[in-house]
Amino acid sequence: MAASGFEGFEKRLELHFFGDDPASGLSLSHHGLRLLDSGSLEDVLHAVQCTIVSAVGNQYFDSYVLSESSLFIYPTKIIIKTCGTTQLLKSVRPLIVLARTLGLSLGSCRYTRGSFIFPEAQPFPHTSFKDEVVYLEESLPSSLCFRKASIMHSKVGSHSWHVFTACDATAEMAVRPVPDDLFTIEVCMTELDRAQARKFFQSPGRVGKFTGDSAGRAMTALTGIDQINPAALICDFAFEPCGYSMNGIDGDRYSTIHVTPEDGFSYASYECVGSVYDDLNDVIRVLRKVGQIFRPGTMSVSITCPSADSWTWVARALEPLGLKRRSCNMDEFPEAGTVVFQTFTMTTARRK
Amino acid sequence: MAEEGQVIGVHTVEAWNEQLQNGNVSKKLMVVDFTASWCGPCRIIAPVLADFARRMPNVIFLKVDVDELRSVAEDWAVEAMPTFMFLKEGKIIDKVVGARKEELQMKITTHATETAAA
Repeated sequence: MAASGFEGFEKRLELHFFGDDPASGLSLSHHGLRLLDSGSLEDVLHAVQCTIVSAVGNQYFDSYVLSESSLFIYPTKIIIKTCGTTQLLKSVRPLIVLARTLGLSLGSCRYTRGSFIFPEAQPFPHTSFKDEVVYLEESLPSSLCFRKASIMHSKVGSHSWHVFTACDATAEMAVRPVPDDLFTIEVCMTELDRAQARKFFQSPGRVGKFTGDSAGRAMTALTGIDQINPAALICDFAFEPCGYSMNGIDGDRYSTIHVTPEDGFSYASYECVGSVYDDLNDVIRVLRKVGQIFRPGTMSVSITCPSADSWTWVARALEPLGLKRRSCNMDEFPEAGTVVFQTFTMTTARRK
Repeated sequence: MAEEGQVIGVHTVEAWNEQLQNGNVSKKLMVVDFTASWCGPCRIIAPVLADFARRMPNVIFLKVDVDELRSVAEDWAVEAMPTFMFLKEGKIIDKVVGARKEELQMKITTHATETAAA
């Protein structure tokens, strides 16, 4: 492991809002947070220390590729995921203020992250999970009175999962209608296969000729990322001299991939939304494809779902690739539901 | 009449047909921005497109709101925004989906040059 380098592991924040007028409901014509003007958004991202490099939207939500990861804006939900040394939690207070200008109040908050490869390089409040939790507690309105913070450990020292969630009484009692069939999958991969990682470097002849989004498009095709979900519209971007980000949009579901390919601190993440009503074979195929593209030495899979379910299919998806499950941890959190955290390591003999 | 150096907003089907006709006749490259007022990425790219229009008066830039001209957006199968359609003499020759600055710049430059040479 290198002494220092770019921190691939992201911090992820998910905020759910609700309108003051319960009668207005969540009709499609009510665009909510999507109406936030670009100046205000850019101000918030400036506080976090990242910028917008690409974007696309459809009838359901807006997606943005950032200089340090991704942002998704639904009418009443915001998901921001940033890496490096960004100060993600500094977006909480300004976002709450901006939402209020649209008549929206915060109903719940979810913050998750893995373990930093270079924890000493992180600025406040990301200096420790304790500092992050204290900062969040101080930033959230007191109406979000159900709170829980926990670190889920694994048998793999370098991969732990940090979770903080908070919600108000109505979210806790499930008074507001929330889709209870959706789950979020957050995958973190380290020690990427070197040959695969090389594909995320811009070739010297290319720089200047193909830039940013065009170079990103080439990487998406070269690596087979466009085959993970062929139905998704992909918004991709390649960084100089290396690094890659993409957001996929498919109806009301997003997916997102971020790659730090440098040897010594290589990292890739994959995140998507699934439904308990999806064909399990499709979800297995997706996860297996992700494993095939990156062939990581270590992989952690965290699934957040309102309902408890069986997650043994994750191991079934990854075992054929030589990824052996090392641990499985489960815990309950306010609003989020159940978080299942599993880690896998590549058995050298089967690593093809 | 086409205003040079600006992105022209097209608000009716009649105006749309008129613009297509003008484009056909002038043989200029036409770039159509399919946009929605509630779509954040469209707001991000708007100043970039306005800048392109200012710098390239030999290209016609149009802006179509997908709610205002729903039938046109449906006919052209616009599902994500912004979508930029590239037209030459009434035919779609290329498109860019998303606020992709570099790809947009590259394609406008390439197709504008081709049109001039034709």
